[in-house]
Amino acid sequence: MSDFHNQSQASARRSDYVWQYEYYDDEEPVSFEGLKAHRYSIVIGFWVGLAVFVIFMFFVLTLLTKTGAPHQENPEHAEKHHRPGSCLADNGSPQDENERAFSRPLLPESRSFFHFYISEEEQGQGKCKAEDQGGEESEERQPLQGLVDEGKSDRESAFLSHFNIPNFVNLEHSSTLGEDDLLLCEPSAMLGSQSRSQDAHRNIN
Amino acid sequence: MNATTASTTALMVNQSDCPEVEVPVPLFFTIGVVGLAENFLVVVAVICNRNLHSPMYCFICSLAAFNTIASLAKTWENLMLVFAGVGQLDQRGSSETKLDDVMDSLLCMSFVGSIFSFMAIAVDRYITIFHALRYHNIMTMRRTAAILGVIWTTCGVLAMLMVRFFDTIFIMTCFIIFFLISLVLIGCLYVYMFMLARIHARRIAALPTSGSGRGRWRRQRWRGGTMRGALTLTILFGAFVVCWAPFFLHLIIIMVCPLNPYCECYRSLFQLHVVLLMSHALIDPAIYAFRSAELRHTFRKMLLCSDWR
Repeated sequence: MSDFHNQSQASARRSDYVWQYEYYDDEEPVSFEGLKAHRYSIVIGFWVGLAVFVIFMFFVLTLLTKTGAPHQENPEHAEKHHRPGSCLADNGSPQDENERAFSRPLLPESRSFFHFYISEEEQGQGKCKAEDQGGEESEERQPLQGLVDEGKSDRESAFLSHFNIPNFVNLEHSSTLGEDDLLLCEPSAMLGSQSRSQDAHRNIN
Repeated sequence: MNATTASTTALMVNQSDCPEVEVPVPLFFTIGVVGLAENFLVVVAVICNRNLHSPMYCFICSLAAFNTIASLAKTWENLMLVFAGVGQLDQRGSSETKLDDVMDSLLCMSFVGSIFSFMAIAVDRYITIFHALRYHNIMTMRRTAAILGVIWTTCGVLAMLMVRFFDTIFIMTCFIIFFLISLVLIGCLYVYMFMLARIHARRIAALPTSGSGRGRWRRQRWRGGTMRGALTLTILFGAFVVCWAPFFLHLIIIMVCPLNPYCECYRSLFQLHVVLLMSHALIDPAIYAFRSAELRHTFRKMLLCSDWR
């Protein structure tokens, strides 16, 4: 493309010496006299506009993070009801199963967005045995750092073999995602049934 | 009288106040070669490692392949320009112009192809979030292969058409409109995903805690996490816009105001804008491919020449 540009410029320059009126030439400007603004005003304006746009976008995104959580109380109450249930019923409560189901990556090679879910499950199981031992640390660290450890795949496959996935979907749960993981890792695979996951696993391998 | 004044004015005008900014050829070559090497490594890594045969990696591989072609074509074109400048090649020769056409069409193909790949990656991530449970039914490997086939064929056809008819304003307008539409689409997809992710992270942060101290700490960590998400999204989208927009503004300016002195000063920076475009091929792997631990692991294996599988 630059070659084409150069060629057309070169040919236009050659024709300069033939034409009498330089303002017919569409390669060279008419004149640089009488310019009201700076020569590079378009360049400067464009880059300033671009920088403002990018910074504005960043501030809008961070402003979205700083706005409060209006429905913070409701999920708290909901979680309170289900937490003890998961301990007592030995991971049998439907809500917990939903969360686990929708959060589990079902292919070992697809690194999960939902490792915070997995560590929540681990924490939930751990709670049955003992009070939370600072498992919250690992829980918080995983979604917020965004990159997934290779060694998780073994634990994931261990999880896979241990419980069933219900067939119905809670859309609200399934549509949310840790954005760090979203943007930094590959997508997780979410399936409604274990058999389908196994088939998919076989397909991909 | 008329002729002398005209010729003197032509001479004066020849050295315009906005001379074309020349980028040194070694810089072009460095960016081209490094971009080529990086993207080629990504392509080889995705093909060799069976774990990476999933839809998302296929799209990343396709993006890297397009970037490889772009870097290759641009480096080759630079080589030819250097030889032409030195005098080894005849710039007007038929084989040279044909070769130049081939390279221009390869460049067009890779530009359009990388935009399509960005859109495919964004749509793939979108489906992952919104149709997470049916992801494997929606995005099977067959469909991925079909999508990639369509993308590559469309790019090839478009490239040939564009190079043949690039002088017509219609094609350029289409190119620019295509760029703007894909920019808006990708931006909307990512912002929507970010907003939903934020809601989810907020829910996580709102989980019941045994003490108020822990709750505050959770919220702080949540904010830290979403801050990083905002930064990542800004980098992703910002790099795309910063690297592509100057070139497209150049195209718009060629069409709209070829005689304006301000526009001439903008057009004099053409080589800088091409350098920006090439550097986007360089930073793409860092934004998309190298984020994945599996891919980095594969690279380490490949570069250290240990066991390939």
